[in-house]
Amino acid sequence: MLEGNVVAVQCTSSALYRPFALYLLFVHLLRHKETSVDLILQTAVNSMVASSFFALMAVGLVLIFGVMGIVNFAHGELYMVGAYSVWFLYSANGWPFWLAVIGAFVIVTLIGLLMERTLFRPMRGNPLGGLINSIGVLFILQVLAVQLGGVGLMKTVIPPFPGSTTILNGVSISDQRIAALIVAIGLLVAMWLFLTRTRLGWALRAVSQDSEAAALQGININRISMLAMGLGAGTAGLAGALISPMTRVEPYMGHGVIITAFIVTIVGGIGSLSGAVLVAVLYGFFYTFVTTYVSGTVAMMLGLLIMLFVLIVKPNGLIGVRASE
Amino acid sequence: MGITRRDILKAAATGAVLSGVGLPKWALGAKRKTLKIGLCAPLTGEVSAWGLPGLYGCELWADNVNAAGGVKLGGKHYDIEIVSYDNEYLPDKALQGYKKLVAEEGVKMVMMLGGDTWPGVQRWANHAKMLTTTLLPSDLSPDTPYLLAPCEVHPIYNVTGVDWLSRKFPQAKTVAMCAQNDSLGIPSVATYEAAFEVAKIKMVDLNIFDPTTTDFAPIVTSLLAKKPDVLCLDTAYADFVNLISVQAKNQGYKGKIISCTCDNYPAIISKTSKQFMDGFIFQFPDFDDPKLNQKFINFHNPNKFYKDYIERRPGTWTAVSWEYPSILDLWKYGAEIADSPEPMSVLKALKSKPTAPHAFGTAEWWGKDLWGVDNALVGNWPVVAINAEGKARIQEFGSIPKWWDKHSKVLIKHMRARKQMWDQRA
Amino acid sequence: MPFRKIISIGVIYAALLALPFALKLHQQDFMIILVINVLIVVSYRLMTLTGEFSLIHVVLMGAGAYTSSLLAKTIGLSFWLSMPLGGVVAALLALLLSFPLFRMKGFYFLIGSFAVGEAIRLSWSYFDFFGGPKGVKLIPSPHLYIPGLGMQDIWQPIPYYYLVLTIVSLGLLVLYRLEHSRIGLTMNAIHWRDALAESVGVDTWRYRTMAFVIASFFAGIGGALLAHYIGTINPVMFDVTTMVYVLIWVIVGGTNTFYGPIIGVVLLSILNEMFREAEQLRPLVYGILLLAVMRFLPNGLDSLPGKIRDYRRRKLDSDSVDAAGNAPSQAASGSGQPSTNTIGPN
Repeated sequence: MLEGNVVAVQCTSSALYRPFALYLLFVHLLRHKETSVDLILQTAVNSMVASSFFALMAVGLVLIFGVMGIVNFAHGELYMVGAYSVWFLYSANGWPFWLAVIGAFVIVTLIGLLMERTLFRPMRGNPLGGLINSIGVLFILQVLAVQLGGVGLMKTVIPPFPGSTTILNGVSISDQRIAALIVAIGLLVAMWLFLTRTRLGWALRAVSQDSEAAALQGININRISMLAMGLGAGTAGLAGALISPMTRVEPYMGHGVIITAFIVTIVGGIGSLSGAVLVAVLYGFFYTFVTTYVSGTVAMMLGLLIMLFVLIVKPNGLIGVRASE
Repeated sequence: MGITRRDILKAAATGAVLSGVGLPKWALGAKRKTLKIGLCAPLTGEVSAWGLPGLYGCELWADNVNAAGGVKLGGKHYDIEIVSYDNEYLPDKALQGYKKLVAEEGVKMVMMLGGDTWPGVQRWANHAKMLTTTLLPSDLSPDTPYLLAPCEVHPIYNVTGVDWLSRKFPQAKTVAMCAQNDSLGIPSVATYEAAFEVAKIKMVDLNIFDPTTTDFAPIVTSLLAKKPDVLCLDTAYADFVNLISVQAKNQGYKGKIISCTCDNYPAIISKTSKQFMDGFIFQFPDFDDPKLNQKFINFHNPNKFYKDYIERRPGTWTAVSWEYPSILDLWKYGAEIADSPEPMSVLKALKSKPTAPHAFGTAEWWGKDLWGVDNALVGNWPVVAINAEGKARIQEFGSIPKWWDKHSKVLIKHMRARKQMWDQRA
Repeated sequence: MPFRKIISIGVIYAALLALPFALKLHQQDFMIILVINVLIVVSYRLMTLTGEFSLIHVVLMGAGAYTSSLLAKTIGLSFWLSMPLGGVVAALLALLLSFPLFRMKGFYFLIGSFAVGEAIRLSWSYFDFFGGPKGVKLIPSPHLYIPGLGMQDIWQPIPYYYLVLTIVSLGLLVLYRLEHSRIGLTMNAIHWRDALAESVGVDTWRYRTMAFVIASFFAGIGGALLAHYIGTINPVMFDVTTMVYVLIWVIVGGTNTFYGPIIGVVLLSILNEMFREAEQLRPLVYGILLLAVMRFLPNGLDSLPGKIRDYRRRKLDSDSVDAAGNAPSQAASGSGQPSTNTIGPN
């Protein structure tokens, strides 16, 4: 008994001196001092893929928040449903991959529209009520996924592009990731064009900036809300669909994603689309580099602390233009 | 692989029927008494891959035994019924479930995965004097007299894989390893460190990652940056082995891979290639392996068991599918010697001899040096490698005691450095 | 009225004291955890009195659990000291965090509290000092000197149940008295009329902090009680999933009355046990129930009696209206009681 205590006390005192994350970062960078250009480049390539997916997720959250003032906690589950749709249509029923991705987009968009009509519309302008409702949706979607595919090992979605491309000696990226990256960037560009070049996009931004003024201008708020929710859900579904061959497709896969999406959204300035995209890119690099050189836990911890810092110092976000309540 | 929607519906229907209070047994009109054995394991959530397939395996085992006349103890015939409780891999749920199984269901033994859930149960299990088994011997200590690790001696058997690798591929000089930071990963790290030291393979990188990791691209990048001859995945969750292997292939890795497990490897092959997975070394055989038909194997008719299981629960086979049933085999052996189902009599019968029939041949009760108590059954363990046709085949049965006799000091050194000795875990 | 109240509380306590003997073994464990959770939700409600919902309550519960467990294990401190210290450390942590967190309000506070909570939780998983992902094991149980029996190790469910019931009852008493004191009324006023309260000289920051610190103290106590019973804790036990369940209990129960959250946690926990067999469907039940409550009883179950009263009165009114042929004098309001929290549509 006594012996056990002595050992425990020794552990404690040595652990007390254990340095904190920044110091660890320093030590690890030293440890990797033989760090090669290859490693940096490969990490940069990994970062780009991460960034594009962070952006897709964050843009949807921002659209929904901007127009309805509701934070969609079930956004990660919409992403999960996108991945499950591809698994079900493509892997289990033999649809062509691209058709399955489009199918996933349609399914998740419809779920989004349904959520808007039944759950979010009565809660517009009431952040907490909307949040609670989205938690209800989160549970329901998880259970549906379990019922469809069971629990246990992850669902297998065979990559339609199995090869990989060597960019430089020692730096390579799977073709699946390249394809997903191209589609994700294309989608973001399309969305940007839609929001800046079309009347509907203009109306959506107007509602997002000041819904009362927009309503006075004769913009139909309900229609715009459905548009925002449909688009927001659809992009989350597409992100899940595109990533399904590369990730762990399981009922709880939305959980880790939503935290990252929150960090990006808040730091970018909640309600700011350009802010979300820019921060998604920066955070994708930050997260991937810290994960490569230190650890994923430290990367997540630092991300959360950055978010907290931004909330305290500049609650409108680093880039955000939208005024907070 | 082609899973059709009909398959899913069929599986769902089968599940519904099977969960429907064990109807078939009553329907047969059997009048035998029933003995209950408990399974308190994660059946939902992240860790369910190491619980649920075990339940499926045990149900199959019970059906087989019951169809063959049940168990005969003290002149009476008994049917076996498996009672399960989902502990969600949470200690408080495990405690409630354990009590329910023992005090209300009246089970004669409780099988657990162990790990995070065991410490919640330990005190009460001792109090109730209940025979309990774990798949993780790191739960063992002198304070756990009724806890056995009768099947899996994780992570010690990992030395057999490294030993085989070093003999077969003497040109391998460096290894990079990644491991998840939990009660499965860390003791395994110490074992691999010892095994590689003995094999004179230098560890050039060790990346300990969080169990909530979702993207393995950065981790694989940092491992491959060291240009290792061997990539070691430690004891990673089944899905992590999948994702890491796929990442390694995509980032152009061409060397050897060694891992503790490789569940559902056909899925990994379908995402990479047969060529890439050729020579992947791990420790868990498919049970249709012809080498399991050898005389010294104690698992009853492994090939048929595997076939029946795959038929019943397609796509769910993992290491625990046979492990929990093999514990049931040992229990049956002990109960028949004791001629009684009472937990303490069975325990006494099992421990009455220095050896007992382990699934992979006769093994000895062992563990004092590492866990402070001889409650782990240690003997042969298979080394498995995937061949060019994409099939996992047993390469040899390595002897853990033989390795231990020569290199125990190295293993203890690394276990101590990782704070995994029983006196450090208290 | 107070007499009726005393009688009903007396009856409830008599039932609670007798209950463990009517229960099966694993149900006794269920009761212990339920009683601890009652303290968690009621203390959480104190926070909501000032109008703020946080997502850090369960992490502070974990802080109490870790403090008490580590003190008991490493320096062998007695439970009777380590348990209150668990509460004190959780309260101090809340005090420290109140400086950054109370710069935010409403939704921003919610997300900010989530961020800092998750960061704290990840640090338990990252640093060996806290035991890493596998947490702390073999946490000693409390010992109590009972005259005539000597030193008793309280680890069996029934004695521990009484211990928990006593400590939680004391906590509830303190929380109840606090709410009905000047301080509690001021807290409520802050929620209602933030600017107004400030203009008459109320230091809103101070009252918010007070509510947060006191709520966290009891969360820490709850965590310590849980840790010393189960004997092991790990970071996963205090993650956002658990927090979401606490939030659901509170919101389904309702935050307008002291007993609202208690109704929520008791009903939903029992429901959860009832659906034990249908493992995988349990979250579905939670989800549907949550949506239904938000739709039909946005102020929680505790607004139900008011609603019924309201409905009856309206029915009476309309009957008399029909007779007199006038329009009803009262507009039908959503709830018979004043709605103190804006969870529902406003």
